Amino acid sequence: MRRVAFAAIGFGLFLLAPHVLRDFQLFQLCLIAGTAVIVLGLVVVTGMAGQISLAQSAFVAVGSYGSAILADKCHIPLWAGIPVSAVGAAFVGFALGQITLRVAGHYLALATLAFTAIVQLILIHADDLTGGAAGMPVPAFAIGSLVFSKAGQLYYVIVPAAVTAFLIFANLLRSRFGRMLAAMRQSEIATASVGIDVLRCKALAFAASAFLGALGGGLLAPLTSYLDPAQFGVIEAISLLAMAVIGGMRSPIGAIFGSAIFILLPEALQHFQTYLGLIFALLLCVSIVARPDGLASLRLNLGRGR
Amino acid sequence: MHLAQIIISALTNGAVYGLIALGFVLIYKGTGVVNFGYGDQVMAGAYFALIPMTFFGVPYWPAVIIALLSSALLGMLIYGLFMWPLRNQSLLARIIATLAYGTALREFMRAFMGPNAWPFPFLLSPGAVAVDGVLVVPANLAIVGAALLVLSMLYLFLERTFVGKAILATCDNRLGASLIGVRVSHVFLSIWILASVLATIAGILVAPLLTLSPDMGLIGIKGFTAAVLGGFTSLPGAVVGGVVLGLLEALTGTYVSSTLKDVISYVVLFAIILVRPQGLLGPLLVKKV
Amino acid sequence: MSGPALTIAQVSVRFGGIVALDNVSITVDAGSIHAVIGPNGAGKSTLINAITGIYTPSSGRIEFFGRRIDGRPPQEIERLGIGRTFQNTELFREMTAIENVIVGLNRQINYGLFEGALHLGGFRSGEVKARDDAMAHLAFVGLADDADTIASNLPFGKQRRLEIARSLATRPQLLLLDEPAAGLRPAEIAELNEILLGLRSKQRLTIVVIDHVMALVMAISDRVSVLNFGNKIAEGTPKEVRASPEVVKAYFGEERSHARGT
Repeated sequence: MRRVAFAAIGFGLFLLAPHVLRDFQLFQLCLIAGTAVIVLGLVVVTGMAGQISLAQSAFVAVGSYGSAILADKCHIPLWAGIPVSAVGAAFVGFALGQITLRVAGHYLALATLAFTAIVQLILIHADDLTGGAAGMPVPAFAIGSLVFSKAGQLYYVIVPAAVTAFLIFANLLRSRFGRMLAAMRQSEIATASVGIDVLRCKALAFAASAFLGALGGGLLAPLTSYLDPAQFGVIEAISLLAMAVIGGMRSPIGAIFGSAIFILLPEALQHFQTYLGLIFALLLCVSIVARPDGLASLRLNLGRGR
Repeated sequence: MHLAQIIISALTNGAVYGLIALGFVLIYKGTGVVNFGYGDQVMAGAYFALIPMTFFGVPYWPAVIIALLSSALLGMLIYGLFMWPLRNQSLLARIIATLAYGTALREFMRAFMGPNAWPFPFLLSPGAVAVDGVLVVPANLAIVGAALLVLSMLYLFLERTFVGKAILATCDNRLGASLIGVRVSHVFLSIWILASVLATIAGILVAPLLTLSPDMGLIGIKGFTAAVLGGFTSLPGAVVGGVVLGLLEALTGTYVSSTLKDVISYVVLFAIILVRPQGLLGPLLVKKV
Repeated sequence: MSGPALTIAQVSVRFGGIVALDNVSITVDAGSIHAVIGPNGAGKSTLINAITGIYTPSSGRIEFFGRRIDGRPPQEIERLGIGRTFQNTELFREMTAIENVIVGLNRQINYGLFEGALHLGGFRSGEVKARDDAMAHLAFVGLADDADTIASNLPFGKQRRLEIARSLATRPQLLLLDEPAAGLRPAEIAELNEILLGLRSKQRLTIVVIDHVMALVMAISDRVSVLNFGNKIAEGTPKEVRASPEVVKAYFGEERSHARGT
């Protein structure tokens, strides 16, 4: 019953927000929602499954550029193109996850890093498709004749999509699927000894992270309305990982915390604009030294991760 | 383009990649950590020289000395604040820690020195000089020469001094070294300091070529690739890997296309990891059960 | 089920130049407790790893109830009904005891992604059944009261029993125990013996125990095989093996050094 109450309050707030918040604040809310979906991908693959991934930027690019190109060149509307790109990304993620058969730890980190760098270079050089280094505009998000162009309108698309993704994955992580990932993180040998296919598990974790990364990317694309390949590089991949670590990478709530901190910090520290990056970096340093196991410091029942 | 010029260009870049790769392998063999923040230490090292030169009018060589001392200090700081506290934590945590302080170094420089590129002085003149019909750039020769000098000094240090030999012993067999009385934690600290100084030397050598900016640390990836090429387990291998990578880039740039030159190091990295990842952890994580 | 549970036929395992197992043949009868003993380095762990698919034999065959299993990957061998425990207790350290066992039940409680995503349908009943089954397994090894204790907080002896419970959850027909008695006190060894005898009689399990703690091996084994330097040097009932001169010779040096306290 408590859950129904939560849901009702949540829904109420959702409907209320556009009437009390200014457009810029709605923009930030949408940004947090979309980014949180992306970071949730890292919670799944790195926090739960224990596989380091610096490939998340690349999957975000697949979602953003993928849906934008499908809309621009194939006239597939964004509301269809985004899920399609996300599923496509999942396949790519699954393939990437196969590398874990060969390597783990450091080499995996390197391989995912190389993957991101290669994808970014493709974005920069495939001029005809992606607009090259100059980037490309994102076609408007439209369902039939209904166009969603302002943040206040995209709000009704991005937030429900994000909430749905979160509910589904939070449930999955608290089911036998989440247990398999956690088991794998804690002892691969024991996990294999009880009949679980560890390689397949890892590949599926990567597939899930790719799906979420692309979904988030696709949702944010119409919000920012322009894609610049410089936003999908190694440094951004590290930032995403940082958000997961700072927010707590063992539970979905951590993804929301981390994204919120990253996006709201510039607002809170307006006088220290130049130092923003540094403050965020220092937050990361403190987080990893103080909480090396990645658990969120705030234990909320909503996101009981293990 | 003349073959000799290609080779010089390859050697110049290769020398720097080799130095960076050396730092990676040194830290890995000694402490078991792959230092993802190393590229940023290279960048920071160059800034440590730039700051005295630009703001305090310190001449080149004294600035270099200041940079070397500062980076030794930085190495100690990194070890004390991150590596030592996390020494028993998971591999994932330690990898993230190296990414963390690397990011902190980068953002620190971005905040205090600005995001734009700074020009950095060459060791010798960057102007091309014709020698026997071949265009030679003294600056490039200086880089190769400096790298060779550093390598020889490193060799002497590791093989002839007590600290150096302790480092080699620990790299080879940590348990054995501790059994014969080597204070492993001291050796770890020495390794970090040594590698940090190496990073600064590499930074000072490469900064004039790339111009110095907070994002120059991405050159670390080239260092990785060189180290991986060399098998990530031997110090000479790292140097060889650097030269091979330099050669690969130069040849690709000349004979294929200059756009591909950028991609080649990442593709090589990815391909090697897929096909022949031996050296770091072996083909499979074989744990004794 | 007739025929031997496990047939190890002329199995050799080589690592480069090192011969860890040399032409070893052992037959394990269904429903029996079979011990494999030998000094350190005799190849006992190699044998277990070869059976469970972590190593592939360089030559020879391994058959499980008549089916060939050498060369297959670990998860396949597990699915055929072979469970194992590890020398260095491989537990899910951050999970509770009952959660450890529930992971072992993964194949039995197998609701799908859809149900897992919506927490509907088979999810509820699956989770309830998982908890119930896990409690039963924990109770069998005497850990029912420790169900909600974090695995790493359990005392060593209980951790070993937890590993057995988790392995039981996979419904094996053959259980391989790698040095289950190492580090246990005499009272704990007696408890372990009870559990293993119970498994043989009540659950008709075939058990292969690798160990050198004689208090366990001699008390409960039906047959004992002795390895030394990768070769099988003796086999028989516990009494026969204890009296065998080869076995005494193989252990003599070990006992000597134990006497000197090294």
